[in-house]
Amino acid sequence: MSKQVSSKKRTLLFVAFGWVLLILGDRVGDLELYQGSFVATYALAITSIILLTGYSGQLSLGQSALMAVGAYAGALTIFNAGLHPVIGLFMAALVAGVFGLILGLIAARLSGPYLAGTTLALAISLPTLANQFPILGAEEGIVFDVGLPPARFGEDFSQYKWFFWISALASLIMVWFIANLLSTKYGRTFRALRDNPIAAELSGINVGRLKVTAFAISSGVAGLSGGLLVMLISGVSPSAFPLSLSFALLGGAVVTGLYNLKGVILGGLVLVAIPEIADSLVSRIGGSEGFITTLPGFLVSALLILAVVFTPNGPGHLIKRHHKK
Amino acid sequence: MTEFITAVLTSLSSGAIYALMALAIVLVWRSTRVINFAQAGQAVLTTYIGYTVIQRTGSYWLALVVAVISGAIIGAVIDRFFMRPIFKRVKSGPIVMIAPVVATLGLLGIIQAIIGFIWGLTNQSIEAPVSTGGYKVMGKVIAFSSYNLLVLVAVAIAMLLLTILFQRTNIGLALRASAYSPEIARLSGIKVDAVRTLGWAIAGASGGLAGMLYIPGYFLYPNAMDLLLVFGFVAAVIGGLESLFGAVAGAMILGFAINFSTTYISQKLFFPTAFIVLVLVLLIKPSGLFAAKKSRGA
Repeated sequence: MSKQVSSKKRTLLFVAFGWVLLILGDRVGDLELYQGSFVATYALAITSIILLTGYSGQLSLGQSALMAVGAYAGALTIFNAGLHPVIGLFMAALVAGVFGLILGLIAARLSGPYLAGTTLALAISLPTLANQFPILGAEEGIVFDVGLPPARFGEDFSQYKWFFWISALASLIMVWFIANLLSTKYGRTFRALRDNPIAAELSGINVGRLKVTAFAISSGVAGLSGGLLVMLISGVSPSAFPLSLSFALLGGAVVTGLYNLKGVILGGLVLVAIPEIADSLVSRIGGSEGFITTLPGFLVSALLILAVVFTPNGPGHLIKRHHKK
Repeated sequence: MTEFITAVLTSLSSGAIYALMALAIVLVWRSTRVINFAQAGQAVLTTYIGYTVIQRTGSYWLALVVAVISGAIIGAVIDRFFMRPIFKRVKSGPIVMIAPVVATLGLLGIIQAIIGFIWGLTNQSIEAPVSTGGYKVMGKVIAFSSYNLLVLVAVAIAMLLLTILFQRTNIGLALRASAYSPEIARLSGIKVDAVRTLGWAIAGASGGLAGMLYIPGYFLYPNAMDLLLVFGFVAAVIGGLESLFGAVAGAMILGFAINFSTTYISQKLFFPTAFIVLVLVLLIKPSGLFAAKKSRGA
């Protein structure tokens, strides 16, 4: 595909990007910081979809369920076991990863629509399971509290900036890890698997194991983003992970370009920006209640279709194609 | 005992509605290799059209006919003017697997938004044409009414018509041939593109019928059919996606499993049962119970 960036160069790039974010975080207000945290969280969730669908060729419609697993694991670690939030986020990724490993063992046997159906059923059934166990807090859910920012950051270090730091840092580290993973042997075998499973198997790749691996890693990434998401809304409950979240994230992944990690920030930005754009549009032109409430959904859907029709391989691909001409 | 009879009867009537949705999914899958998530939107849109007819004329039966016909038209229009151009554009690369799914998901969102624009988001209701009061069995009122019976009969008639269409007519032969092997069907003079649009139309009609039969027990709002779509899809996958009989069988298995687990174990098992049944079936047969022996090339 494109030229490979060496891992040292990539690390420098990520550190530089983190530095820019850090400086930017000091310049903007609380609202922007809060929105920025959502962008980082969604970008991470989109990364998990790209890893699974774009690289290993498995279509999952149940990413929100895996996020929910991570969110509950994190919340239980922090709230019930009373451990440090960092351990909570770590557990979010770990538990979701293990869960994904088990699920992946089933998923590896399934192809295309069968896997889509299974994950779809998972996405609607798993959150309702939380109502079964009192420890998960039923409909009200449980709180997810990362606590106040440490006092040494000073008086005017707001809660939102703290959110932003945590989510941006966690996402950066995770995306950096995945980007490195994909540029190793694993990345190549993943691509081989996606492009031609039979040829991949013939050249000695253990297709089943690779699919399970991809599912587990992707679940872990999704779990971490689920943990971050409930940190931002300060509690986890079944209703925090509707099916529409899975679909929106899939949309974000298509907008990003399924075969490329470079644009995940763009996907996250789009998911955060569209409701805002719809709001400002509505406040200018007005309209009925039905119009106001459904406009964001309409815009997301329209964007999805446009993305599929015009840049099926992502905006990055479009730019590259123009360069060639 | 009455509990058991109730569970059997409600399983049948909910299974019947899942079956209509599953048929809609399977018909589209057979003709185009697409899981049509927009089906939930198409079905709810036709139900809104039926609702408007009821508002104007007061006749449920007229509304039912209008909904089924408009469902067919909407299905055909979507295939001809939406899916076909997308398939022309997206032809190569791994995106082919994902593009149709994303496109129908996007279409679902657009249809639901348009419904919101036109009819608003408030819950509407459609009055059932016959009594919804439960029958009395051995002196006890059970949760099965004349309306549930009507649903069963209507679905049975629809199945019968579909069977006749598929097994006894030339159109049915063309539909089966195009699903089995589009290239050979084309070589033997079948207009495969027209046939696939027909498949979408029949699927749309089936979805419209499902909506008009399902909504009178619930409320009508833009997302009203989403869950039915999921259950229809799960039923279709259990049945093997290819087979019309499998879709009905899968829907019945799902209907019985859900109603029995919620009656005898816990009300909360409604959704988890669907997942467990699906996983169990797929663990035993990864491509569903009634998958065709030979899949078509590609």
